[in-house]
Amino acid sequence: MKDMAIWAEKLVKVYSQVKAVDQLSLHVPRGSVYGFLGRNGAGKTSTIRILMGLARPTAGGATVLGFAIGREQVAILERTAYVSETKILYGGLTAQELVRFTRGFYPNWSNDAVAKYARTFETPMDRPFAKLSLGNRTKVCLLLALAQRADLLILDEPTSGLDPVGVDEFQRVVAEDLAGEGRTVLISSHQLADIERIADWVGVIDHGRLLLEARLDDIKSQFRLITAAGAGLPQGKSADIVSVNSDGDFCKYVVRNNAEAFAAELRNQGATVTDVSPLGLREIFLELVRKEESCTSGNAGEIAAAVSSSI
Amino acid sequence: MLLHINPSSGVPIYLQIENQVKHYIASGALGPGEALSSVRQVAADLRINPNTVARAYQNLERDGVLQTVPGGRTYVAENPTGLLKSEKIRRLRPHARQMAVEGTQLRLDPQEIIDLVWQELNALEEAHERHGDLGRKAR
Repeated sequence: MKDMAIWAEKLVKVYSQVKAVDQLSLHVPRGSVYGFLGRNGAGKTSTIRILMGLARPTAGGATVLGFAIGREQVAILERTAYVSETKILYGGLTAQELVRFTRGFYPNWSNDAVAKYARTFETPMDRPFAKLSLGNRTKVCLLLALAQRADLLILDEPTSGLDPVGVDEFQRVVAEDLAGEGRTVLISSHQLADIERIADWVGVIDHGRLLLEARLDDIKSQFRLITAAGAGLPQGKSADIVSVNSDGDFCKYVVRNNAEAFAAELRNQGATVTDVSPLGLREIFLELVRKEESCTSGNAGEIAAAVSSSI
Repeated sequence: MLLHINPSSGVPIYLQIENQVKHYIASGALGPGEALSSVRQVAADLRINPNTVARAYQNLERDGVLQTVPGGRTYVAENPTGLLKSEKIRRLRPHARQMAVEGTQLRLDPQEIIDLVWQELNALEEAHERHGDLGRKAR
């Protein structure tokens, strides 16, 4: 638990009968860049708001940098830099004024970092925040977060509105100045291509539940697309078989574990295995979320099996 | 050292780095004793996680391909052997199997499949000689 920057156990958040977060357990190792992935409305922002003390969990608990949420929230806030999903700050203030307003709250604040990142991101420092484009607002929010030189950064959609150059600069900063310095970064996003580059851990959330949490490299090593041809190929899903698509005697399987063993089993049944190939994060994400949808409309036992096997 | 990665490929990034470093060494672009860029530098250049680069370097070190000296710099090992012959063969066999399966499916003669491997080996050897010439001229 000591080596976890964020440790959440069975968090639940109910907003007027809607379960935004449902028995969610999250484990973010110190020094990792953790991609927190999910569709719109999956529960990413609700989870982050609980961690930042902006919402109280209906049930469950969490520690952030070893401090309990709620009870020790001030200690958490001093050590955690946060960029919110909405990117709303005082509209009348310029970035320069926001810097002066913000720096008093953070013991590790660095004015050198302000100057450095204002240059890196070409941030407009002397125009009122409300007059800025979304991309420039995001840059101001990132600037204020980076200057805190916090041990943990929680960034909710940190690239919204940024152009490709801005995204590239952001990724260089994460690689060099944050991960390179051993800081922990939780990035919530559905920009899978950006996450795939920079994250070493990912958690996939859907309908408030965590479907998968693992090292990205391990996920990529485990998931395989198997194409096979033959009569009477198995059609059933299981904990290992995420999806089956068939067309006559041809079958496409997405397998999450033991792909080689499954391919061998198919060959033993007389099938021709034409291909066993790896999948990118995008395909894996789609398979997981679609599986979840088909489960939700299907039977409850399968949901339980899918969820317990993914945690 | 210039590396290129494709993050959206299903091949883990650390494996892509390992394969490229191995190729640079096999073709002589990186010679024994030559220093590699630091983990941090590679991570910043490629905009990837330093832990991923470190994992690739550690794997290559474990295989005897690279050496890290106290203080942190990483070099191409002087005698990149390290591995037992049986282990080398165990690792290469899946590639050979793939060649055999693909080649047979494409209706190539066994000799044509073997010739292909010879051609690739010769290409590596020529690259190696070119890099050797370049190295001598530079000195």
